[in-house]
Amino acid sequence: MIDLEVRIPDTPGSLIELIKPISNNGGNIFGILHHHDKKLNNMIPVNITFELNEKLKETSLENIKKDLREKNIRIDKIALGIEKRHITIIMTGHVFDTDVVDTITRLAKKGIKVKELQAKFTEISEKSNVKFKLDFPESISKEELIRELNIICKEKDLILIHS
Amino acid sequence: MKLNCCLIGKGNVGTCLLELIEEKKPTLKNMGIDLVVIAIFEFDGALINHNGLNISKIIEIGDNFRNLEEWNENLSALDSIPNLNLDICIETTPTNPKTGEPAISHILKAIENHIDVVASNKGPFYLHYRKIDNLARQNNCFVKYEATVASCVPAISIKESLLANEIISIKAILNGTSNYILSRMSSEGVDFSLALKEAQELGYAESDPSLDIEGYDAAGKIVILSNALLDWNMNINDVEINGISKITPQAIELAKSDGFVIKHLAIAKNNKLIVKPRMIDKDSPLNIGGTLNVIEFKTKHAGPIILMGRGAGGYEAASAILNDIISIHKIRSRR
Repeated sequence: MIDLEVRIPDTPGSLIELIKPISNNGGNIFGILHHHDKKLNNMIPVNITFELNEKLKETSLENIKKDLREKNIRIDKIALGIEKRHITIIMTGHVFDTDVVDTITRLAKKGIKVKELQAKFTEISEKSNVKFKLDFPESISKEELIRELNIICKEKDLILIHS
Repeated sequence: MKLNCCLIGKGNVGTCLLELIEEKKPTLKNMGIDLVVIAIFEFDGALINHNGLNISKIIEIGDNFRNLEEWNENLSALDSIPNLNLDICIETTPTNPKTGEPAISHILKAIENHIDVVASNKGPFYLHYRKIDNLARQNNCFVKYEATVASCVPAISIKESLLANEIISIKAILNGTSNYILSRMSSEGVDFSLALKEAQELGYAESDPSLDIEGYDAAGKIVILSNALLDWNMNINDVEINGISKITPQAIELAKSDGFVIKHLAIAKNNKLIVKPRMIDKDSPLNIGGTLNVIEFKTKHAGPIILMGRGAGGYEAASAILNDIISIHKIRSRR
């Protein structure tokens, strides 16, 4: 995630001029925050948060900076947030009876966070199907994450289906 | 050019091949190929005619071919292969997943006698690929086996069209039965056993479907593809395999609610082979329905290339076999 802090004139069309270079370079915009209360000399500070394709991140960011400079938009700050990646997995088996809290805790110890959990049962005593949406940091590769999940699933006799 | 050949195995594929050879006679003639079938072997004997068997009569007579005067009770392919002056040996016996027999012995015997081989039997290639390949090189023989993976979909011969490129990894659905079952579970919400029963009633699944649903069939095929296209040296014991029998309709529903479908994927990547149920995006080109097969080749210079088609069937396999025969003829006649 990238957080860009700029100053743009308080005139119609300025925001579009800010957005264009980001979207033209493949940016996925998550949020825009205007600081009207901090307006100075008709210039408004704006924070824009967006995501870039990981593989093209460096080049795309350079292109965005260049395009903004050409449009005379001054960049006050660029913050590269801690990258989180996402994965959806399904576990089938006695997911709850084999201590789902332990599963979540063990993942959390590796920096893997459960963001969402959804379960489907036929009978409460039967095997359950549980979908986990996980966030994992850049420091862990997808292969390492899957390896960790496989260890847990093997130990608890669960079937793992991942994307 | 006259090509003397023998057919080992007159089952569905073998019979369809005989019909196709008859149908394509004019095409073969135009290519300069006079394909003469001088022997047809079954487990209990063989039809032999050194001047060429009457194929149309054999097709007409159907299962009563043992009544023909050319029938030799108990004559085995293994004993006869060296003595028939063969150019090509066509192997279409059923696959023995544990030993690869009797096909592996037929294939090795043919190669030892400098006879080219075309096969539709998978077993020898996922169990003993390197042995076959080495022997074929030593004896200057061609061994072609397009029909072993995805039938007539040119999954193996695609390599010839990518000589200036490089296949890096393969992701595929290689078993029509398991794909049919998962597709039905996904579209109708039925459970695994009902979808399997339906597949059996429609003739898509064997009475013992374990090789298909437990992933062994797909594993054999991904081994064949990885050896042929990625130049690996694998056999079926190198594949990490999980079947689909424990997939529930609830798991499929959970996947669906997030835009995914569950498919039984065979993957060759980073020197690892796996066959496992995986979630893929519902808009993925690998999300195919019914009994179809699909193969995605990730290439170095052109990104993904995808082939899709019917992965089983008598005429489909027969057309792949005849294509292999023609391509061997083309190479031989250029030399």
